[in-house]
Amino acid sequence: MRAAAFAALASLSVLGAGWELGIQAGVTNHSATATGSTAMGSTATGSTAVPTTPGQPTTSAQPPATATAPSGTFTGTVAQTQFGNVQVAVTIADGRITDVTALQLTDQDGRSVSISNRAAPILRDEVLSAQSANVQNVGGATYTSSGYVQSLQSALDAARF
Amino acid sequence: MLSPMSIDTNSRRPVGAPSARPIHPAYRRRMRLADTLQVLCVVSVAIVVAIFLADGGAARFTTPSETLTSMGIVSGLVGSDLLLVMLLLAARLPLIDRAFGHDRAMAVHQSLGKPALYLLLAHAALLIGGYALADNSTLPAEMWTMLTQLPDMPLAFVGLALLIVVVISSIVVVRRRFRYEALHAVHLLAYLAVLVSIPHQLSVGGLLRDGSIQRYYWLALYVAVAGSVLLFRFIIPVVRSIRHRLVVTGVDRVAPGVVSIRLGGRHLRALNASSGQFFIWRFWTPGLWWQAHPFSLSAAPGGDSLRITVRGLGDASVKLPALPRGTRVSFEGPYGLFTERARTSPRIVLVAAGIGVAPIRSLLESASFEPGGATVLLRSPSLGDRYLADEMAELCARRGATLRVIAGHRPPGVDSWLPADAAAAGITLATLVPELREADLYVCGPRRWTDAVVRDARSAGMPGRQIHYERFDW
Repeated sequence: MRAAAFAALASLSVLGAGWELGIQAGVTNHSATATGSTAMGSTATGSTAVPTTPGQPTTSAQPPATATAPSGTFTGTVAQTQFGNVQVAVTIADGRITDVTALQLTDQDGRSVSISNRAAPILRDEVLSAQSANVQNVGGATYTSSGYVQSLQSALDAARF
Repeated sequence: MLSPMSIDTNSRRPVGAPSARPIHPAYRRRMRLADTLQVLCVVSVAIVVAIFLADGGAARFTTPSETLTSMGIVSGLVGSDLLLVMLLLAARLPLIDRAFGHDRAMAVHQSLGKPALYLLLAHAALLIGGYALADNSTLPAEMWTMLTQLPDMPLAFVGLALLIVVVISSIVVVRRRFRYEALHAVHLLAYLAVLVSIPHQLSVGGLLRDGSIQRYYWLALYVAVAGSVLLFRFIIPVVRSIRHRLVVTGVDRVAPGVVSIRLGGRHLRALNASSGQFFIWRFWTPGLWWQAHPFSLSAAPGGDSLRITVRGLGDASVKLPALPRGTRVSFEGPYGLFTERARTSPRIVLVAAGIGVAPIRSLLESASFEPGGATVLLRSPSLGDRYLADEMAELCARRGATLRVIAGHRPPGVDSWLPADAAAAGITLATLVPELREADLYVCGPRRWTDAVVRDARSAGMPGRQIHYERFDW
């Protein structure tokens, strides 16, 4: 009976330690995302989001319609999530979003990869029809969606879209 | 941590029983070891749950799909941990054999089989459900997605299917008393099932992600278990079999189908075998080499000779008596706690039925007791079908043990270990051996009969630590 009591005590303390570590991990996770987003705010206007093809697209068959309409491909900042980093590049032609390419998607484990592979085309279609980063999260892919939108927004900011 | 008091788990000590007798120090050490191993086993389950919690798992119960997924992960972790405990229990670790004995270790192993399977089935079902809810798809569609999109999932499904086969067939084999080899073959599949399920544990979930401490812990568990199985079930038996060069030196007929097999070899003291223990033997002769049989020593082990007395079942009953001299013998063992090492008391009571007389005879030969301090009860349906009767009578006379032969058929329908007339006359173990409470009781015989003797001893107020039995069905 002492053994049972001792086993229960030891198990409870192990579980308690795990619980405590979990709470601490949660706290650091939140603070990491917080600092991550502030950093992103500052770099969006800075130099991180650099158009991969500066100025004009290489094939400039059609010159910009207006002087203010941005064109080219712009890479967003890296958005950190619990399941891996997300980064997208947006292609803008004549003031319209024509394509969004995912450079990096949540890839920490097999399940995350499968989720982000499913979500990415849906998000791309939504962005193309909304012509902004103002799109809904894909169900079951919350982290991928928010990272995607975050990175996309920074790219659009850099393009002064 | 564990005071000496903790080992006296028996609270049913009858009034008037001698209570001041000191508890045997060997018994105390053994119980401390057994307690430690049991605590480790329980804590190992707590650790895997703690790993989930430490990863922030407690926060992942907010949506239905998250809840299902989290529960699925926990049941997978616990189920796998139990599976590893089962493998360790079956690995014949000397530590486990010393603490619990082979018989009890295997009983625990058996009792964990179904819980582990249910947890792993729940793991699969919960994750399919949780993922399907998250992806907003149907269960079959989600299963297909998992099989095709997730890494290593086909192997994981194969592993689960194998496990189902192993558990179901084990239950059937145990129930139907199929031969030992069938159980053995089926269990080789269990190793495969565990092996093919490892990749998906490391690749699908993020919990055991690359570079994390928990991944190393998890892998270390698998390496430790695989190492134990390899070492104690394969390497050591092979090395010992080669080193000790056991051969059959003679076969003596005891009764129809019952023989004593004498074996000779080198450096047998190094085996540290004791009277009452058993080995799993393999006789390298045509028709027998593919079967392994657990047989007990029927004589105290010597430096260059061993003896077993066996009743062959099936084809072995024909082939064992005909074993040629010089046949090579390989073995696993010695195993079992049905030995002098389990002693707690000055007196000893040995009870045997049928071929169970084999380990009892070797115990009688080397157990320590004062003349008059031992009672031997030999039970048989009739006076004629006792095995080793002459040897037992001679040994009892030489060592000063009281021999009682109890012959007669058991009463039909009543679960008694005694003949019908004795049971009807109210005779019990306590009336047969009045000194029962100052003795260690060793019982060996068929399973149901052994259970009846043990029940009788318990109802006589005998503490559990003084009752020793080893039942093997094979």
